[in-house]
Amino acid sequence: MRTRRPEPHTLAGAYALDALTGTDRAHFEQHLARCEQCSREINGLWEATARLAAAAATEPPPGLIAWALAAAEQTRQLPPPSRQTPARWPARPAAMTGLAGAARARAAGRLRRPWMPRLALAAAGACLVVAAVAGVAAHTAAHQLGQQQLHSHAIAAVLAAPDATMLTARITTGGTAAIVMSHQDRSLVFTAAGLRRLRSSQCYQLWLMGPGGDKSAGMLPGPRHGMTGPVIASGLQPEDHLGLTIEPAGGSPHPTSAMIMVLAL
Amino acid sequence: MPYGGAGAGEAPGADLATLLSEVARGDRDAFEAVCHHIAAPVFGTVRSVVRDRCQSEEVAQEVLLEVWQAASRFDAARGSAMAWVMVIAHRRAVDRVRSEQKSAERQLRAASHAVAYDEVAEKAEANLDRERVRRCLGSLTELQREAVTLAYYGGYTYRQVAGLLGVAAGTVSTRMRDGLIRLRDCLGV
Repeated sequence: MRTRRPEPHTLAGAYALDALTGTDRAHFEQHLARCEQCSREINGLWEATARLAAAAATEPPPGLIAWALAAAEQTRQLPPPSRQTPARWPARPAAMTGLAGAARARAAGRLRRPWMPRLALAAAGACLVVAAVAGVAAHTAAHQLGQQQLHSHAIAAVLAAPDATMLTARITTGGTAAIVMSHQDRSLVFTAAGLRRLRSSQCYQLWLMGPGGDKSAGMLPGPRHGMTGPVIASGLQPEDHLGLTIEPAGGSPHPTSAMIMVLAL
Repeated sequence: MPYGGAGAGEAPGADLATLLSEVARGDRDAFEAVCHHIAAPVFGTVRSVVRDRCQSEEVAQEVLLEVWQAASRFDAARGSAMAWVMVIAHRRAVDRVRSEQKSAERQLRAASHAVAYDEVAEKAEANLDRERVRRCLGSLTELQREAVTLAYYGGYTYRQVAGLLGVAAGTVSTRMRDGLIRLRDCLGV
């Protein structure tokens, strides 16, 4: 024996658990193609792993099924396998890995599509935004964002807009902001992570600043689990900048303190 | 035998394999019923491997869409519909962590590798599936159980599992097989 490779058959368990990679997997799949008994064994072991899966069942995110239904509307199904080349069961998804991504990209804005997929897609978009803001704290906010999404057409529309662009910025007093904006919708969605906690007499206020002057874009709500927002700001004009200041509680008609973030939109 | 628990029960009378054959013919209502049936186990499994909630959501989306696309490839003669779906889900989950997981994150996961099994073990509640799985996992030897749960819930390769457990890779692969066979027999599937 030249190399120390386990007897193929002993790898059936590892294969059924997706614990083989690279040459180990290729080697085993070659063996599998010639070994009907191994195929039967693998099928039986998959029944056991499916029970491991069932035992891990967890309440799915609220938008998941709506997304799938909307994506299915736009996705062509595969034909049944031909007799000459019976598909392995289940077919290793390598040839298909691009499809869901392609469907996502398609739905994300290059084609005209009904409103539903836009909303559903926004759930994924929102998730990405929040992830970009703050890795570990993200999931709670993502969940909130997902929930809010279902009730907020405006935020969903911005996140799913064909021209949606994401920007991030450091906040000089601490924290990071992520913004998704759409000039087409003339709106942006603002989220932040790790903002310094303010005294109760203060609040964070967003500003749209352009040639026409400064305009309040609203006050930020208090943080939840370190995450702030999402807040939507509308009425975006070309050449606007987005600013953030600390103002007295209740907000100000115009900025009264130094900008702690300025972002060219 | 039908699956109980959080993922099932929304499609009384309509069995998942029948629904899948309807999905293969483009039936959207059947697809919705399938989604309600599989969303919880798909998301739970993906989540246990991927961990990050946002990425888990993306992978779960891919899985549901693949079920729609590939429904015609399901062959009831070879196994249950739930097994077919969960193979897709688990493969996509491990593909995600293997392609994107940075070494630091893997280290972190290695440190908390026992969590997934503990979660399953702890949250027995009134979930019949979970209770039976927990009991059957308990009937494995410790090495079999660790090897199976690290690979399935942790998404590790058998060589990584060998490294984590400090055991030869060949030993791990045989324990995985023995463990799964024992699990299968204990569950009566």
